[in-house]
Amino acid sequence: MSQQDAAADRLLSLTLKAGAYIAFGLIAAGLLLQTITNRGAKLAAAGLLVLLATPMLRIIVACIQFFRERDLKYAMVSLGVLGIVVLAYVLGIQT
Amino acid sequence: MTFALVLLLIFIGFFAGGLGALVGVGGGIIVTPLLAIYFGLPMHQAIGVSLMCVIATSTATSSLYVEKHITDIRLGMTLELATTVGALIAALIAHHINRKTLAILFACFLLYSAGSMVKKAWESRKEKKEEAISDYAPQNYPIGFAASLVAGGFSGLLGIGGGPIKVPVMFLFMKVPLRVAAATSNFMIGVTAATSAYVYWGHGDVRVDVAAPLVAGVFAGSLLGARVSRKVRPFYILVLLVGVTGWLAVQMIYKLLTGGFQ
Repeated sequence: MSQQDAAADRLLSLTLKAGAYIAFGLIAAGLLLQTITNRGAKLAAAGLLVLLATPMLRIIVACIQFFRERDLKYAMVSLGVLGIVVLAYVLGIQT
Repeated sequence: MTFALVLLLIFIGFFAGGLGALVGVGGGIIVTPLLAIYFGLPMHQAIGVSLMCVIATSTATSSLYVEKHITDIRLGMTLELATTVGALIAALIAHHINRKTLAILFACFLLYSAGSMVKKAWESRKEKKEEAISDYAPQNYPIGFAASLVAGGFSGLLGIGGGPIKVPVMFLFMKVPLRVAAATSNFMIGVTAATSAYVYWGHGDVRVDVAAPLVAGVFAGSLLGARVSRKVRPFYILVLLVGVTGWLAVQMIYKLLTGGFQ
């Protein structure tokens, strides 16, 4: 494993962790608020939306890393995956 | 939704996420049937919610596996070209498939998973010492692509990750070390599940009140599971999971035969 790859792994892992903890925090806060005041469903929903966004974010981070490593082949592969996921988003959520 | 029900869902999520992370399955094979059989959710909603749990497992466990450089990002990204296409097509089709057909497909997949875990448990009786990952170059990409397309399809159709399909293919045909195959599959299932989750969300099949407590439990469970996974012998967990999936399969078939899932 090259040093560049190791650094890329660290950044990607950080992205995943941030996504996981932010989503978890929002959902936990939402659930807690719900038991006390009967509100908080919106906060929980926001947490779920963060969760839905992390997969897209991890592809974008990987893609940027591949470009920085001048690994064009895998940068293109990442862009391809991103294209399909965005298409699903457009077909799914927007319609 | 009552407080007790919320606690129960958190517990189920914790259980599914923890077991999933310990033996490398997404947890969807437990969550979908539980919701459909015992919580009376329509199959499409059970699947939509389960997809959220799969994303949660993937995000939580991958953050650790990527950090340890076990995940092969290049291999994962390449195969995702196929899993996402399969997932998108399946999610679009799933909306037009009736509940009963989905339930029958799911029962079949449960039996297949139980069978593959029996095999895995049998092989893990004498646990070998953890070996360092040797150098490898993935081979047979066409077979990998085909399996990924099928795995993605099942993921979008049934709300599962598809690990039981991809991991053996990566290991046996692509000659990728088992640990790498499992970690890479774990990374991929989040992207795959998100692809179909967008479609289910758009149809209003991701119920926030059910998904939120489950996902919270899954996060806690899978983070804990991934951390202790190297210290726990998988044999007993696999036996437990075979029991759970076998039971759920029987329940599902029983409900089908008695006219459920209409």
